[in-house]
Amino acid sequence: MAHKGTSTFIIQRLTAVILIPLIGWFLWSVVAHAGDDIVATRAWAEKPLNAVMLGAFISIGAIHMRIGMFEVIQDYVHGSLGSLLKMLNWALSLLVIGLTWWSLFEISFTRLF
Amino acid sequence: MAEGTTRAKPLSPHLQIWGWTVTMASSITHRATGVALYSGTIILALWVVLLNFHAPSFAHLTTFLASPIGVIILSGYTWALIFHLMNGIRHLYWDSGRGLNYETAKKTAWFIFIASFVVSAFIVWSALSTRGAI
Repeated sequence: MAHKGTSTFIIQRLTAVILIPLIGWFLWSVVAHAGDDIVATRAWAEKPLNAVMLGAFISIGAIHMRIGMFEVIQDYVHGSLGSLLKMLNWALSLLVIGLTWWSLFEISFTRLF
Repeated sequence: MAEGTTRAKPLSPHLQIWGWTVTMASSITHRATGVALYSGTIILALWVVLLNFHAPSFAHLTTFLASPIGVIILSGYTWALIFHLMNGIRHLYWDSGRGLNYETAKKTAWFIFIASFVVSAFIVWSALSTRGAI
């Protein structure tokens, strides 16, 4: 991550600020829908606002956690194992974002499952 | 050495000899909750994926999360999220150049430890009462 310190610093704080209202929305939704079955949950996730908010919460969270975990790896794991873990960290974060949007898209636009 | 004597290289003070302070604890807890939330986000993403791709597995996951062990895990996740949120706001406040005085930092650390438990207990209680469990 050479020469990227400033942008990483800014992204970590920017995502932190965006996550504040998203966490409020997420916890409020969980409390309001605790105990819902799969049909009710899909009906909830199908609504455009819910899908976008949930997708944003997970994706922006994933960007934030990628940077946080990068710093943890950098502090404790050195050498090639550290590089491998950093790559896995990237892959896992991208996978979380990609699979989340794919799923949310299908939930919104397909009626059958 | 000039006289040919050898002695052990001086080491910097190690972790265990430092006195415990609440500010230190809040710093470590911020990192620990961050790591815990990493797995929490993966579980949440898995929850969304199963909601779309595999209804039977989704049912297994929700049954597990509704069990006593699941409730303990979700309560821990809630506390980690609330702590990381509150302490994250403290970090943003520090970034503005304020609140860095040691006495102030000590007070805000204590406040967050106590408040995060109160707030997350309230959230867990609310969710359980929505579910009709209490």
